[in-house]
Amino acid sequence: MKRIVAYFFFLLFIPTLYSQKNNAFSTNDYVRALKYSTDIMINDVTSPVAAARYYAYICLTANETYRVFEKQQPHFSGSIKGLDEIRVDQALTENSDESLAVILALYKAGARLLPSGYMMKNKTDSLLNVAKKKKIPSQKIKSTSDLVDSVLNQVMAYVAKDGFSKLSGYRRFTPRTGDAFWQPTAPGFMAPVEPYWYTLRMFILDSCSQFTGGEPDAYDTTTSSGFYKQMKEVYDIKKNLSKEQAEIAMFWDCNPFALQQVGHLEFGLKKISPGGHWMGITGIACKKQKLSLGKTAYAHAIVSMGMCDAFVSCWNNKYKYNRVRPVTAIQKLMDREWTPLLQTPPFPEYTSGHSVISTASATILTHLFGENFSFTDDTEKEFGLPARKFTSFKQACSEAAISRLYGGIHFRDAIENGVKEGEKIGNFVVMKSASLLAAQ
Amino acid sequence: MRKGLLSLYLALITLSAIAQTPRKTLFKPVPSSESGVNFTNALRESPVLNIITYEYYYNGGGVGLGDFNNDGLIDIYLSANMQPGKLYINKGNMKFEDITAKAGVSAKRGWKTGVSIADVNGDGYQDIYLCLSGPVDREKRTNQLYINNGNLTFTEKAAIMGVSDSGYSTQAVFFDYDRDNDLDLFVLNHNNKNLRNFDASFVKKMIDPDAGDRLYRNDNNFFTEVTIESGIISNPLGYGLGVSVSDFNNDGWPDLYVTNDYVEEDYMYINNHDGTFTNRAKEDFGHLSNFSMGCDVADINNDGWTDVFTLDMLPEDNRRQKLLYMPDNYEVYNNQVQNGFYHQLMRNMLQLNNGNGTFSEIGQLSGVYCTDWSWASLLMDFNNDGYKDIFITNGYGRDMTNRDFVKFYANERMKYIRNEPSENMFKLLQEIPTTPVHNYLYLNNGDLKFTDVSTDAGFDKQTLSNGAAAADLDNDGDLDLVVNHLNAPAEIFRNTLVEDGNAGTWIKFEFKGNGSNKNGIGASIRIFTPKGVLALENYPVRGYQSSMLAPLQTGLPSSQIDSAIVTWPDGNIQHLKDLKVNASNVVTYQTGSKAGATHSETIFNAVADVLPYTHVSPDVNDFKIQPLMPNMISYGGPHTAKADVNGDGLEDIFICGTQDQPGKLFLQKADGKFIESPQPEIEKDAASEDADAIFFDADKDSDPDLYVVSGGFNFNDGDAALQDRLYLNVNGKFRNGNSLPKETLSGSCVRAADVDNDGDMDLFVGTRVVPGRYPESAESLLLINDGKGDFSGAPSSMSDALKSIGMITDAAWIDADNDGRKDLVVCGEWTKIRVFLNKNGELKEATDKYFPDALNGWWNKIQFADMDGDGDMDLIAGNWGLNSPIKVSKGEPATLFYGDFDSNGSVDPLICYYIQGKSYPMASRDEITDQMVSLRQKFPTYTSYSNTTLQDILSEDQLKSAKRLDADYFETTYFENDKGVFKPRKLPVEANFFPVYAIATGDFDRDGKQDIILGGNTDRARIKIGKIDAGYGMMLKGDGKGNFAYVPQLKSGLTVKGCIRDIIKTGDKKNEKLIFTVNNQAPQIYLY
Repeated sequence: MKRIVAYFFFLLFIPTLYSQKNNAFSTNDYVRALKYSTDIMINDVTSPVAAARYYAYICLTANETYRVFEKQQPHFSGSIKGLDEIRVDQALTENSDESLAVILALYKAGARLLPSGYMMKNKTDSLLNVAKKKKIPSQKIKSTSDLVDSVLNQVMAYVAKDGFSKLSGYRRFTPRTGDAFWQPTAPGFMAPVEPYWYTLRMFILDSCSQFTGGEPDAYDTTTSSGFYKQMKEVYDIKKNLSKEQAEIAMFWDCNPFALQQVGHLEFGLKKISPGGHWMGITGIACKKQKLSLGKTAYAHAIVSMGMCDAFVSCWNNKYKYNRVRPVTAIQKLMDREWTPLLQTPPFPEYTSGHSVISTASATILTHLFGENFSFTDDTEKEFGLPARKFTSFKQACSEAAISRLYGGIHFRDAIENGVKEGEKIGNFVVMKSASLLAAQ
Repeated sequence: MRKGLLSLYLALITLSAIAQTPRKTLFKPVPSSESGVNFTNALRESPVLNIITYEYYYNGGGVGLGDFNNDGLIDIYLSANMQPGKLYINKGNMKFEDITAKAGVSAKRGWKTGVSIADVNGDGYQDIYLCLSGPVDREKRTNQLYINNGNLTFTEKAAIMGVSDSGYSTQAVFFDYDRDNDLDLFVLNHNNKNLRNFDASFVKKMIDPDAGDRLYRNDNNFFTEVTIESGIISNPLGYGLGVSVSDFNNDGWPDLYVTNDYVEEDYMYINNHDGTFTNRAKEDFGHLSNFSMGCDVADINNDGWTDVFTLDMLPEDNRRQKLLYMPDNYEVYNNQVQNGFYHQLMRNMLQLNNGNGTFSEIGQLSGVYCTDWSWASLLMDFNNDGYKDIFITNGYGRDMTNRDFVKFYANERMKYIRNEPSENMFKLLQEIPTTPVHNYLYLNNGDLKFTDVSTDAGFDKQTLSNGAAAADLDNDGDLDLVVNHLNAPAEIFRNTLVEDGNAGTWIKFEFKGNGSNKNGIGASIRIFTPKGVLALENYPVRGYQSSMLAPLQTGLPSSQIDSAIVTWPDGNIQHLKDLKVNASNVVTYQTGSKAGATHSETIFNAVADVLPYTHVSPDVNDFKIQPLMPNMISYGGPHTAKADVNGDGLEDIFICGTQDQPGKLFLQKADGKFIESPQPEIEKDAASEDADAIFFDADKDSDPDLYVVSGGFNFNDGDAALQDRLYLNVNGKFRNGNSLPKETLSGSCVRAADVDNDGDMDLFVGTRVVPGRYPESAESLLLINDGKGDFSGAPSSMSDALKSIGMITDAAWIDADNDGRKDLVVCGEWTKIRVFLNKNGELKEATDKYFPDALNGWWNKIQFADMDGDGDMDLIAGNWGLNSPIKVSKGEPATLFYGDFDSNGSVDPLICYYIQGKSYPMASRDEITDQMVSLRQKFPTYTSYSNTTLQDILSEDQLKSAKRLDADYFETTYFENDKGVFKPRKLPVEANFFPVYAIATGDFDRDGKQDIILGGNTDRARIKIGKIDAGYGMMLKGDGKGNFAYVPQLKSGLTVKGCIRDIIKTGDKKNEKLIFTVNNQAPQIYLY
């Protein structure tokens, strides 16, 4: 075990010899390319869970593409359940450009998977122009494109079997009658997002119910009960919210569609999802560490797949417990005019998404980059929120978790148990991927 | 060369002359240069004042028509929101003079809205009450009352007289609510903000000083506010946009209808005669417009009862519907109902007054339900045929609800909104497109249907139009129109009816009232002609923010008037003599008689305490199982069965149960009442949903046994609860015979006949649908009796024809070919009525011979009876009806394409129907991409989906593999049996007010001829289709020759509210009665 961890450590923390390649495209291009998919997901108002799934498949495609060229690259095909060995014609590989392939893989996977994938077309044309300008011969560009298509097609065969296509055939959710249960929330009163997400295939985890952080406090209107105290905590925090707490809440809001209603005018303000935020952090870390393209590809793949599994686990809990949101309970029991600082996302409360997935992602990133990896998180700048400095991934995910209490959209146990759940998931992903690597 | 040029020159001139020759239209705009009316309600959007800062920025101005100098010519007052108003005096021949400055009525300051003309102080001169609103302090929005000084100058006296209401006012109406011969005042206010997050029960009871409506009582020309004590609602949720006064219940006292935008429901204030009103909107109406804007009330079918027409926002064309329609949300809809906001749907509503405290909404049947974002409606006779037509203004400043804007476009422009001032919001606003649309004119065909003549009548220009009023401006005998547009010059439209020689017959009435109500506001006239009764009411405020105080005018269906009476506002009735047609008649108040209470006999009389039972339906939503189904399958019960089960000579009834309630047996007693007979074995099967039941002697022991069909949609395919049951009668106790073949089909109906001619009763059991896989259906069953009550499936030689006959809803056995053997007739959803002849026990289809017309409908019920006394069985078939947005015909059918198009294991039912000549999918972009996720890539925006047809949605392969059902005929129909062939004959248009689920026949009025009773309604429809509840139990009176006439509810006496699912005729000569079973309610019972 220690040997595996050391291998890991060695692999990523210290720049190694074989990364000195004259790559036409680099980590910076990777991060930029992935951001284009993020932009499209923002445009499409992709839900947090759907976004995580897209990131996982997009990054997986890029990683497996790189592996076609570099056999020692940590990979998942032929390793995780359902993903067969990716096979590409040797001649094609030799006639293709390695770094262009990885970047192009990000573009093509995004174009293929995302509803507004057509928006990638211009970006892809630009990329190929840049490749030409970097003196990659046209024939090589064409081969590279064909190679990526081949890898992507094989990945798509894997994608098709994850249960996603069956989701639209299931019975639509009906809120359960009763004050303890989730009810649609203002302002949009939308139907809840993806009640059957728990049926999807996992990447690394064995099952969606494998890890839990504990049980929630049962709904109870007596003022001495755990539930009531937690509800009162949400209420009191808002009343005494400090400027910094408000900033933290906004920084981790990550609401893909905040409905604005100003008189007759109605529209949605969009931001990256929680998954988009942590993909951004992954990119920041890779760039700060000046990782090679191959290591960047692996880092993004393992983080995104772990994050996707974390979402499935969290969503399993959300619909299993089907718990009421603070705003509904507080308006009923304490103050009929109360509203949270953030807009309550349209899905049940327990456990907190950000708590689970941020902790899972941070755990994986810690193992990749180290305990005290400091970084400046500027992923929210384009949404008008200034950058924040963190001394470690742990600090960042702890802030993400508690931000939900400041935002008035979660009770404390959903956060604390969510963190535990995320930690367990993250550790498992690290362990399992290490053993997968060892077998390669 | 020159000759050629000359010819060319002449040709060009001729061509241009032809091009400029105006088209002949009923209404012609009078150019400003001719009329002298130069007025524009111009809006200058700014960051400080726009639709975002003021909720009702685009609501426009009003029109007031009156005779301010008593010279017999109608003058015009126009209000503008930001500009001064203008007063134009009519000089005759459509020429007007602007006397605003001299008159002193420009009202420069403030945001002006509605105009109400009345002689408020009773001095014989008409005054102008002007409403004010706007995002300003109270002092700046006090309403103004310009009292006419008698010399075309006015003095503002609102404060002195106590009517300077400071609320956000839309309109005001003067009427005499306490019948003391002076004019009282109702002020319609709206809120400045759209309240969204609130506790309904709390807020609905609040009194809001700025948003609440108000009632003022006139006491000697000073007005006292009496809102709270009169029962008028005055809460912050009132977004009042329209108010109309009428005596809706013909009791001589004026009532009020108030429309409310947004979530608050409309109000129907019925006058209690004692200074108070009771709001009966939720009792009297089945559903209301959602974002109700203007309204008008008048008798549109000449039955003497005032009907109500309210306007909403639904576009007519498919493209705008797909672009602007907000997504359906069943949870929000149900919450609104639970919170007291009632059923509200986004479309115009035409509410027909039944005269008994109920209204039947028929806007879709009449063809007037979708006219885009509409403001004013005027129900007036524009073509002098004696029937009231409908003129509608519409148009909204910007397409605020454009779904692409809401979801995709706005964010792109607003990324930094939080940190920026309102400048950014304003810039964003200016990028939202404006779509002017044409105003509408519908002509009344006299049969409850209207014809859209907008283009032909001269209203093809696309504008944004708000207030409108009509009066005979040139005194030629037809009604002219004045329309106040947004950001365009107001227009006068001259009616060319008379000048073109089509004057018809018309009549005008000028009232000289009593007390200080000099113009007789509130007087109502009834004119009796050989061709029907015309009812008119003298209320100037109609439509939207406008009023017209002019002689009451209408066309007449015939030049002969038998008699006429006027009912004055104080209740006095006066017979009118020596009326002249094609002229104005002065009607002067004289004391006459008071209205007496009339009581006429009804054919049916309700009785209570007869049947102690309430149907309990589980709260299911079929649309959660298959979001694209057109209608729910659940809520189809309760059906019933009747027989004398205990041999006491009295008919007993079995009422089918639901998943939440076992079926129940009730024994009839000699006094006509029913007592429940506990049946433990039937109760054991409570988990089943009983679709139908029949009593018949299964085991030949001379007592009726009971077969119950298990059906329903809210089950898993293969659920044991879908097993049908046969209970054998053992001395009045029913025991499960366990003698049926095992099956888990969702059934719909069961009918008995001796199919194999062996002396015992066999059964046809119709299958409705495969649960969860609409519209897939399974085989219907033929069950053969072994004589002892043991049944088995018929051999395929007998039943092969029933393998795939579709989704069956009803069936009957009749001897169609007169060979002594019973033949099978079935009907269903998306099917024809089909006939299977019994050839020695084998069923062979022979539909074309008996029903050659091949009418594919959504049939619910077939009922055979000899309606014309010629010895053969005629047929009444209940269908979906014509009161829905889905219109079909042979050339333009509705089509259901279905299959598992996205290979996800579930059936995708895609319905298309014709709108304006092209077939479009019913599903919105949200709905279809939720069902078939891959379509999100095909239609990434709402615009990309807005013109889509099914051929764009499905690939060629998918279209080829798709299964398909069609429907081209939705009318409930009487089929006359003409020598064995069933010939469809039209029933009265009323028979298509609602989907018909239950039919009874009999001689109910005891005139020796067979009549029909129809029952139906649906209250669990898709929100887009909406609750259809125009039926209250409908009687069609037969003449014995196959002709039927609708019997108005007042005459029949039927007032069954809810969804009728069965009608039982029972009782002996002393107390014959009809029992209407109603879904999720107690049955309603009538003696006749």
